Amino acid sequence: MKTKFDFSRIMKSKITWAVIAELMILLVCLIIRPEFFQISYQESTGMLYGSLIDILNRSSEITIIALGMTLVIALAGTDLSVGALVALSGAMALKLMRWDMSEFPTAGDYSITPMFWVILVALGICALFGSFNGLMIARFGMQPIIATLVLMVAGRGVAQIITNGRQMTTNFAAFKFISQGSVLFLPMPIIITVVIFILMSLLTRKTAFGMFVESVGINPNASRVSGLRSSLIIFTAYLITGLLSGVSGLIYASRIGQNDSNNAGINYELDAILAVVIGGTSMSGGKFSLTGTVIGSIIIRTIITFVYYFGVAAEATMVFRALIVVVVIVLQSEPVREFMGKRRTMRKVAMGGELHG
Amino acid sequence: MADKRIRIKRQSLTNRIFNPKHVMVYATIGVFLLIYLFGALMYGDKGFTTIRTFLNMFIDNAYFGISAVGMTMVLITGGIDLSVAAVASLTGMFIAYGNSVLGMDPFLCIAIAMVVGVGLGALMGAMIHYLNVPPFITTLAGMFLARGACSLISRESIAINNAAFDALAGWKIYIMKLVDGEWVKVKPIAFVNFNVMLFLAMILIGAYLLKSTRLGRNVYAIGGNEQSAKLMFLPVAKTKIFVYAFNGFCSVLMGVSYALYVKSGWNLALQGGELEVIASAVIGGTLLTGGVGNMLGTLFGVMLKSIIPALITFAGNLLSWWGKIATGLLLLLFIGIQRIVVTYSARRKGSCR
Repeated sequence: MKTKFDFSRIMKSKITWAVIAELMILLVCLIIRPEFFQISYQESTGMLYGSLIDILNRSSEITIIALGMTLVIALAGTDLSVGALVALSGAMALKLMRWDMSEFPTAGDYSITPMFWVILVALGICALFGSFNGLMIARFGMQPIIATLVLMVAGRGVAQIITNGRQMTTNFAAFKFISQGSVLFLPMPIIITVVIFILMSLLTRKTAFGMFVESVGINPNASRVSGLRSSLIIFTAYLITGLLSGVSGLIYASRIGQNDSNNAGINYELDAILAVVIGGTSMSGGKFSLTGTVIGSIIIRTIITFVYYFGVAAEATMVFRALIVVVVIVLQSEPVREFMGKRRTMRKVAMGGELHG
Repeated sequence: MADKRIRIKRQSLTNRIFNPKHVMVYATIGVFLLIYLFGALMYGDKGFTTIRTFLNMFIDNAYFGISAVGMTMVLITGGIDLSVAAVASLTGMFIAYGNSVLGMDPFLCIAIAMVVGVGLGALMGAMIHYLNVPPFITTLAGMFLARGACSLISRESIAINNAAFDALAGWKIYIMKLVDGEWVKVKPIAFVNFNVMLFLAMILIGAYLLKSTRLGRNVYAIGGNEQSAKLMFLPVAKTKIFVYAFNGFCSVLMGVSYALYVKSGWNLALQGGELEVIASAVIGGTLLTGGVGNMLGTLFGVMLKSIIPALITFAGNLLSWWGKIATGLLLLLFIGIQRIVVTYSARRKGSCR
């Protein structure tokens, strides 16, 4: 069967609006300053440079978290603890590298613990806390917002206890590589993001897991009755989000070369949720789109980069972000989309065309 | 002739007291008393039991409490508002910038902030209702907008120097006691300031609105089941918009009270405050699913959240980040109790059927 190019279906799709929004912003950039799109290659670091690369690079922290958050939101939940877990993972990594700072008081290219363990323990503790969230929500049926609020409040406290309230700095080359290294001419964070995106896509589209998530998100009880283990699926989603927050925390800590329990990952939960929603996943659960989420996250970063690049006061980003959010959510909201859909079908009827469902 | 009017029989007293709806409030009050008792036993000799310590807990947290009144109502309708702290911060900026830079009267600035805050609240309420956008995202946008506006006004902290404003901030009622027919201040000196009075007044207004007005009934009805409320021809749209506008009003008052407390405006003031406010409402027994909650619970929720920093100050050797962990554990305890209560009452309802 030949599939027809259905314009109205594309217009109704939520991702379309996100892509259009992104292209509009880029178009404005192009009109104001064409050199925004310049990409140059630097021999010394073997990396590509340019605003576009920078957008992808800097958006990676949010994108990685948002990929996990997509599953959580598709299950009609929210995870507010991701920001705290970003701080926690950084604190754990720095603690393992510097320990109590008595042997090596100055920061340098060394680590007390092997790199392997640094990454493993930091990710492990985040996965552990993620599974704590999952346990409370899946096993004890607590409300996601409030269950994850516990860790959001307590997580930063735990991070400070791990490092005893200190800020530690490191110049350990292997750790710095996470954010400053490059593979295939691209900065490492982009590579990590792409790898995680591919893994998540495989998990959700090549196995039944993705379908299970959508099913549980649409109706947990019906899914349970038809033989799905809802609680296990919910648990896994929170576990994955915790783990991915840990990855994001390592990238962040590596970027700034230190741990910062108070400011690391602040407002990440909001940005991640925003990215998912702009990407077209509804907060009431159900169908999700990982591609949409990546686009959403890139939109957020594009706005920030745009504002920095054109020398607008850095604080104005917030206002821009608010405006973009309002525009996107209004366009995506049910009444508006219904209205658009109705108008199009009405025109079709008027032209004597057939109606397709 | 027998009286034909149908007499609605009041539930018996024990039934009313042990209503599962109230268990949360009892739990909050009980835990507060327990922690207070613990503090009194451990640090009684250091002055934990004085009126001053007790009132200081109010003075240091009154602004959170004011916002918690509006937040409780929003949560009862089944919504959430993340913009409160940002709107409060914006109010502070209005007062500080208007007074110190533009030379306006601070009370005029408060009036302008009131219009902006209530307007933003009503707008968000309308968007939530008519466009069917999740409250979380709508109010998140409101938060970004308010924070952004703060930062556009000024990126630095501005002090407020105004005689009338200072007078209001310094206004105190001292707690007196009768000694030999003469009123003297209690030692150590304890007092109640404008913020505390405002907080208590707002709690009373909130309790009145929820308990004794048609509006309050509608709020509970919408939180219980919005679909049913619509079918009963309750004014869902009006009520929802009012609740968000009222919450905007409370946020502005929170900003005024915070400005009185610190006497300055700062674009990053009260960052993360919205979650503190939500946490105090939840500790006070408000369910995030909507339909359950009351002002007495919120009052004790705020007090319970403020007693922890007080205890940590008295302990002296404990570091402040234990406060975060303690708050987290407290939240965990309360949502645990909530869970048990909800399951229990669902089972009871089930058996009646």
